[in-house]
Amino acid sequence: MHRTINRRDFGKYTGLSLLGASASGWLSTIAAQAGQSDTKKHRKCILLWMSGGPSQMETFDPKEEHENGGPTKSIETSVPGIRISENLPQTAQVMDHLAVIRSMSTKEGDHSRATYFMHTGYLPQGPIRYPTVGSFLSKELLNKECDLPSFVSVNPFQAFSPAAYGPGFLGPAWSPLVVASQMTGPDADAQQVSFEVSNLKRSDRVSSAQSDARLQLLTSLEHDFLKQYPGGPGRSHVQSYQQAIRMMESGAVAAFNLDTEDEMLRDSYGRNPFGQGCLLARRLIETGVSFVEVNLSNADGAGGGAGWDTHQDNFEAVGSLCGVLDPSYATLIGDLKQRGLLDDTLVVWMGEFGRTPKINDNTGRDHWPKSWSTVLAGAGVKGGQAYGSTSDDGMEVKNAPMTVQNLMATVCQALNLDHEATNISNVGRPIPLSDHGSEPTRSLLS
Amino acid sequence: MRYVLFGAIVVAAGTSLWAADAPHETAAEIDRLFQVAWEREQVTPADTADDAEYLRRLYLDLAGRIPAVSEVRDFLDDESKDKRSHAVELLLDSPSSVRHFTTALRNALIPQANSQPQFRALIPGFEAWLWQHISEGRPYDQIVHDIITTELNTNAGAALSSTTSPDAFFLVRELKPENLASGTARAFLGVRLDCAQCHDHPFDKWSQDQFWNMAAFYSGFSRPDDDDADNPAMMQDMTEKTDARTINIPGTENVVPAVYLTGLEPDWTDDSKTPRQMLADWVVDSENPYFAKMAVNRLWAQFFGRGIVDPVDDFSDGNPPSHPQVLDLLAQEFVSSGFDVNHVVRVITATNVYQLSGRQTHASQAEPSHFARAALRGLTPEQFFDSVAEAVGYYQPYRSDNPFVVDMNSPRARFLDLFRNNVESPLERETTILQALAMMNGDFIDNATSVDDSQTLRAIAEFPGMSDEQKLETLFLAALSRRPSANEQRRFGEYLSSGGAAKNSRAALSDIFWALLNSSEFLLNH
Repeated sequence: MHRTINRRDFGKYTGLSLLGASASGWLSTIAAQAGQSDTKKHRKCILLWMSGGPSQMETFDPKEEHENGGPTKSIETSVPGIRISENLPQTAQVMDHLAVIRSMSTKEGDHSRATYFMHTGYLPQGPIRYPTVGSFLSKELLNKECDLPSFVSVNPFQAFSPAAYGPGFLGPAWSPLVVASQMTGPDADAQQVSFEVSNLKRSDRVSSAQSDARLQLLTSLEHDFLKQYPGGPGRSHVQSYQQAIRMMESGAVAAFNLDTEDEMLRDSYGRNPFGQGCLLARRLIETGVSFVEVNLSNADGAGGGAGWDTHQDNFEAVGSLCGVLDPSYATLIGDLKQRGLLDDTLVVWMGEFGRTPKINDNTGRDHWPKSWSTVLAGAGVKGGQAYGSTSDDGMEVKNAPMTVQNLMATVCQALNLDHEATNISNVGRPIPLSDHGSEPTRSLLS
Repeated sequence: MRYVLFGAIVVAAGTSLWAADAPHETAAEIDRLFQVAWEREQVTPADTADDAEYLRRLYLDLAGRIPAVSEVRDFLDDESKDKRSHAVELLLDSPSSVRHFTTALRNALIPQANSQPQFRALIPGFEAWLWQHISEGRPYDQIVHDIITTELNTNAGAALSSTTSPDAFFLVRELKPENLASGTARAFLGVRLDCAQCHDHPFDKWSQDQFWNMAAFYSGFSRPDDDDADNPAMMQDMTEKTDARTINIPGTENVVPAVYLTGLEPDWTDDSKTPRQMLADWVVDSENPYFAKMAVNRLWAQFFGRGIVDPVDDFSDGNPPSHPQVLDLLAQEFVSSGFDVNHVVRVITATNVYQLSGRQTHASQAEPSHFARAALRGLTPEQFFDSVAEAVGYYQPYRSDNPFVVDMNSPRARFLDLFRNNVESPLERETTILQALAMMNGDFIDNATSVDDSQTLRAIAEFPGMSDEQKLETLFLAALSRRPSANEQRRFGEYLSSGGAAKNSRAALSDIFWALLNSSEFLLNH
């Protein structure tokens, strides 16, 4: 069990010495806790989420020999024998770190259900509220010494399935800190992408002594009230305040400020919300955050919408999206590698499903869960391979079909986690990290 | 009242021994049923809530906001015996309750408008329509019938958002028969058909054919192919064939007819009726086994944070009601009152179950399905902001008589966005870190807790001749709708008289108000 404050401790702290005491007192409590904790160094995970369902044929499984492939050409990569789409020239150069899974095969072709499935590893059914992958993995991978929340989500597009982005039965302590990119700068020509957690600074009108006094007053109120009126929303309230105060008091929030990064490196990531979001992900991972999700939804790199949902003008649309994806993705892999972080950081690239191999009347591709691609890199993943394959027309998985459950199990294994470890669900049933019967795919792991 | 009695007699003759007329009689029967259930489950219920606790909860549940300082004072000082039911009547007559019911029903009927930005523009027109119907006291069955059978103004284009109509119910479902079938079943009947769209429901009795039988009632809609797919809310050139009574199950050769969920075939002998009219007649029929139960279950959840069937819109064999007799009784009352929502509200609020305290005195009260104490629950974003506004004396530039005015940059709109929650159950509502930060450090609360900028605080700080004790009491009444306990009076009184950390009594007032506004007690319903 790794969590900041477990249920039993919580009872102790509903006295909320935690919340109320001055910053130093509060931090020392945490520090004392951290001291007793396991010092095992956990791996980290970055999820690059392609909202809308990216076309496999214009990314990692081109079919230029077949009419279904359309005009998309393939190019060589740094690994002999593996070719990917011409839309991803920089990514091709880091292929030796990537394991492309070309045999994803699921049955969910609806945005909402598929988004939920890929984010939780479970189909939406019955009363069980499954946690999103960032929640259950960050719980396992928690670094107690990190003052930031263990799960950060950058520019998420949650409209397809809000529940796919929440902590489910794990509860509010495992909710993501959601950050949105902003454009800031002196004038319209000099706009920069920046990330800021709003309201982190206390008001100028309030002195530090006053702020401490306020927290003490609040603590006394919380103590009296929650003792008599126990319940989930009260616990959540206190936990969020604790995490918020911890962030306010910590220097770790400097991770959100990209200004200290090398200008050239910022350029290589791409000066757009997704590119800078990938850079932010690296900085957060360095600071001790366990799981970062970065969403790419449209061609300007921002989070809104579902740009990969290319029912029309697929080739042009995917081309522009890849123009954003390619430098960011390749730079992230290279940057992590150069800093010695790639060995312990898993980078997952995926969306909710693939696109129909057959091109429709609007030069588009529709939803296709039957044979599509995802990509793993870093941590325990054996790079430089294409796992599974599809038929020449792209309509069938030819060998080694991959289920979502096995993908999830493989992700767990790559992070040195036992995929059969369980959490107790809201209906009192133990739920394994990846569904019953799933197995990690050994050949994907080194 | 005569009307109610008449209805009651009809039902009594048909199905039930129980068809009380006066709300307090039904309430007493509900309390008796709970008493039996508690004894069986060995549950010790909580004490009855004191007046302040009762009033605050009643305002939140019925009016969507906490009471004003003067409203709490008047209520606490009122010595009449029937003041609780009097408060219910007062609120049922108020614009606040019309607005709260409007918001609640809108959230239930077009939830897509919260989660999907492209549908947001549909909210004002839909709310205006609901507002009008609810404020006129239209019975619930008529409202639902009007929604299902409404003549669509789909060619209104961009002007649609300012058209008072229930069209949004159709538009957020993109006029697709399958979406409308599952939406109708879920919103009005509490039946989740969604899974049966693609296959026979794995955990329930619904078959794929039954799903499409429902969809067939909506099969007349068709849209031109070149429609703007990015903006389904703005549908142009939609047409409806009013004699379509069958539907082709996509991807199959199967054509199935319009059949009600109960297996009953519509009687088409009166062919002046459109399929939607036939569907609406059946949905709101007093014999429909789901309609009234679903409606009272949702009302129950509005007052308890949890349905007798929970989730409220999931009536199925695998999810039985916790107190089936109570549900049946309320449904019968609802039918016999002529689908009068206010009648059910009077019954629910008159029960001892509703008037229990949230203070837990026995471990058996922890299980929410026992309803043995008032559960601690989150506020909806609307309840939250309207309560903050009430507490801090913020004048909302919102005209309740003209809900078309929506300023997305208003503090209300920004707070609603920030406090929008993914969790369906108020008992599981979560506070996010960003919400905590906005409450602790954000401009709005900063201004509201500054003596220079806050209406409430300045009034208290500068009111001539007010003692520290009175100032403290007013702050507690404003935020927590109760007077401070002796202990709090002492603790906070000392802070105030010493000037607190800033050694300044105005700053100390501000500190105390800040703490009250950030407390669980203020930010939750209990």
